Amino acid sequence: MRRIPVCLSLTLLLSGCVSPAWDDHDYALKAAASAEAAASGVEMARLAVRDGDRLMSPYVKTLLTEVSEDLSGIAGQFGGVQPPSRASDEVREELLELLSQAEDDVDGLLIELRRAGIARPAQAAARLEEIAGRLRATGERLR
Amino acid sequence: MKKVFAVTLGVLTAFGGFVDIGDLVANALVGSRFGMSLAWVVVVGVVGICLFAEMSGRIAAVSGRPVFDLVRERLGPRTGLVNLVASFFINVLTLAAEIGGAALALELATGVNYLLWVPGVALVAWLVMWRVKFTTMERVFGLAGLALIVFAVALWQLGPDWAELGRQLTNPPPDEGAPTYWYYAIALLGGAMTPYEVFFFSSGGVEEHWSRRDLAVERANVLVGFPLGGFLSLAIAGCAATVFLPVQAQVDTLSQMLLPAGLGAGQIGLVLVIFGVFAATFGATLETALSSGYTISQYFGWQWGKFVRPRQAARFHAVVLAGVIVATALILTTIDPIKVTEYSLVFSAAALPLTYLPVLMIANDPDYMGQKVNGRFSNALGTVYMVLLVVVAAAAIPLMIATKAGQ
Amino acid sequence: MTAARRLHAELHLLDRQVIHSGDGRLVCKVDDLELATGSDGRPYVTAILAGPLALGPRVGGVLGRLMVAVTEMLRPEEHPGPRRIPMALVSDIGSALVIGGRPLEMALERWARRTVIDPIPGSGHAAPGASAHLPEAAPPGAARLSPLLRLRVTDAEGQEVGQVADVGLRQDGPLLAGVQHALRIDGFIVVPRHTGRLFGYERGPGGYGPGPVRAIVRLLHRGSRFVGWEQVGDLTGDGIRLSVPERDLEPFVFGRAKTGEGRSAPLGSGGGKESGGGKESGGGKESGGGKDS
Repeated sequence: MRRIPVCLSLTLLLSGCVSPAWDDHDYALKAAASAEAAASGVEMARLAVRDGDRLMSPYVKTLLTEVSEDLSGIAGQFGGVQPPSRASDEVREELLELLSQAEDDVDGLLIELRRAGIARPAQAAARLEEIAGRLRATGERLR
Repeated sequence: MKKVFAVTLGVLTAFGGFVDIGDLVANALVGSRFGMSLAWVVVVGVVGICLFAEMSGRIAAVSGRPVFDLVRERLGPRTGLVNLVASFFINVLTLAAEIGGAALALELATGVNYLLWVPGVALVAWLVMWRVKFTTMERVFGLAGLALIVFAVALWQLGPDWAELGRQLTNPPPDEGAPTYWYYAIALLGGAMTPYEVFFFSSGGVEEHWSRRDLAVERANVLVGFPLGGFLSLAIAGCAATVFLPVQAQVDTLSQMLLPAGLGAGQIGLVLVIFGVFAATFGATLETALSSGYTISQYFGWQWGKFVRPRQAARFHAVVLAGVIVATALILTTIDPIKVTEYSLVFSAAALPLTYLPVLMIANDPDYMGQKVNGRFSNALGTVYMVLLVVVAAAAIPLMIATKAGQ
Repeated sequence: MTAARRLHAELHLLDRQVIHSGDGRLVCKVDDLELATGSDGRPYVTAILAGPLALGPRVGGVLGRLMVAVTEMLRPEEHPGPRRIPMALVSDIGSALVIGGRPLEMALERWARRTVIDPIPGSGHAAPGASAHLPEAAPPGAARLSPLLRLRVTDAEGQEVGQVADVGLRQDGPLLAGVQHALRIDGFIVVPRHTGRLFGYERGPGGYGPGPVRAIVRLLHRGSRFVGWEQVGDLTGDGIRLSVPERDLEPFVFGRAKTGEGRSAPLGSGGGKESGGGKESGGGKESGGGKDS
């Protein structure tokens, strides 16, 4: 059982880090995974915002903060991968643009929430849904 | 009313297996990714833990010997020590995660960062173990955790397409690979059958002074507690399958896994569920912390237990205190408590046979059990589960590496 | 007269919990057993040994050595030995060993109480604890039982027979403290391969369940022999040399005898077998209940 710490550090290594992209296909797969993870986070935010009036505000705040942190983490990680060729540059730009848009939206909602509550939850939810949809579509296209 | 209270040990024990912090999120994650297609694993897990918890409880009632006594007695000092080191390591990791989980629940209720709650949660947990009587402890936290039933209410309120949920039972989503599916199957089974449940359950039986006369109480504890835990775990997966699966959202955090309860049962439901999560993780904190003391004391033959004064079981209480301090320090490093339990679940799956084999052997030994040895049914089922556990133990770590921990 | 009680040292004694008959307090584990040699040259069990100095050598490896080294460093004596509990104090052998006499206290418990637990409020009253006497030294010439386990066995012609899987004990040794007969080494269960423990599946009748587990354990140990003490020629730390050739050895029949017996008892065979086994399992059942006080 002395192997346990070794295994643990090994798996942490395997799961935590982003390996470099070897070719365009590999890069596209990484982009797809990032887009899908981001879409998942945005959907969470959408569900919470849509029914925000039925939920406690500390809860919604915590949830949105987490989503925002997740999104910036995903953007940071994906942005750190070196695109292998010019063709991949396009993918990179498109996805980073989408990610920052998503993050901005969630951050904007957080600011509203801290001030006086989200004014028009239905509209905000619709916007998030649209971004999530685009992220998902990007993910599917690249896979 | 006394009869209702009599089963709280089983209920509290089951929380540690089915709805502690790692399992809460694992259940929701599995629901959001695989729908109800892993529900059968929960059923297999409930039957397995019922079977072995019943044996260990029966041994404790008839002979007064808790599980880790049996591990060392039958496997000898060397293999026993391997199991002790593995179990203790997993226990402290899980303890850290549970303290973090209880603090996360407080963060969701108040909006104050969980790290600020961690020392307080650890201190209160230690005070409970230091001062509060075992029966009071198990009643308060066993019953409070029942607030998690809100998940079942929420599932009802969400009005899911029951036919669709039923269809998912046998149809895993096509876009998930088989290794990932089996990785989560093992994680769920490992969670349902974590060894610290039987350590705690059998030691709890000794703490409550069970004897031959209490075998009916012991069975009731098993048959109420663990199926209830399994039911809650299915309700959580059902909620996640209803809300998250259609929009392809994946659950990674405690706050996300609570969202369906809020959407289904509203503000009050959300408050109750956060309370339930706190109670369940706090109960699991007590369970894992005491288990770390139980295992070490029972291996070395020290006086243990809350049925004597702390100064009469000084080494036991010193171990519990040290465990709580180490776990608190670990969680204050801002390590993610949920990731911690996900890993510890899989590692504990690899150590399962070392705990359950001696239990099965001694449940058949008339030197210990007299007339109360296993019947044919328990033995047949026990043998099937031993085979299953050996397979699971062998597959756990390779699958974890192959799937990059289920990504 | 009934047949003397038979036990298997590893199965029935080693690693069992020791509890005190007075208040049911948990005392220690049977970490090892101390042997003395009787006037007829046959070893018998004189005491239970407990504590890291007894456990460490059994665990072996780095951890075991560390356990011993740390304990020796912390103990005040020149050549510290493990705690000894004379076998004469043992009043029952079942799922736990019940002892009488003065409760003795381990050094680590005392240390933990004094430095960690007592300073914390609410630790309980300062009960008149057990006295802090140093463990009595082992008598000269004392040996331990655990080195006998896994010992290599060769027959009179120097051919390898196998290794010791368990040590048969029989309660017909010299009187201990004038109250009970000592457990005397009766023979060895010798298994042909390095297959380790028997897990209690050597007993009968028919053996205990579950069937498949029993079948696997017995299959692993097939070809086992029982070596009576009278067949042992020379016993040293390196191995056991038998006084008879391998072909004269009795095969060990799994599950022939009732409880803790490796072969049918020569003393009063038939009825004696039953009463010997009954005595043992009967005592074991209630002993754990002593915890209630």
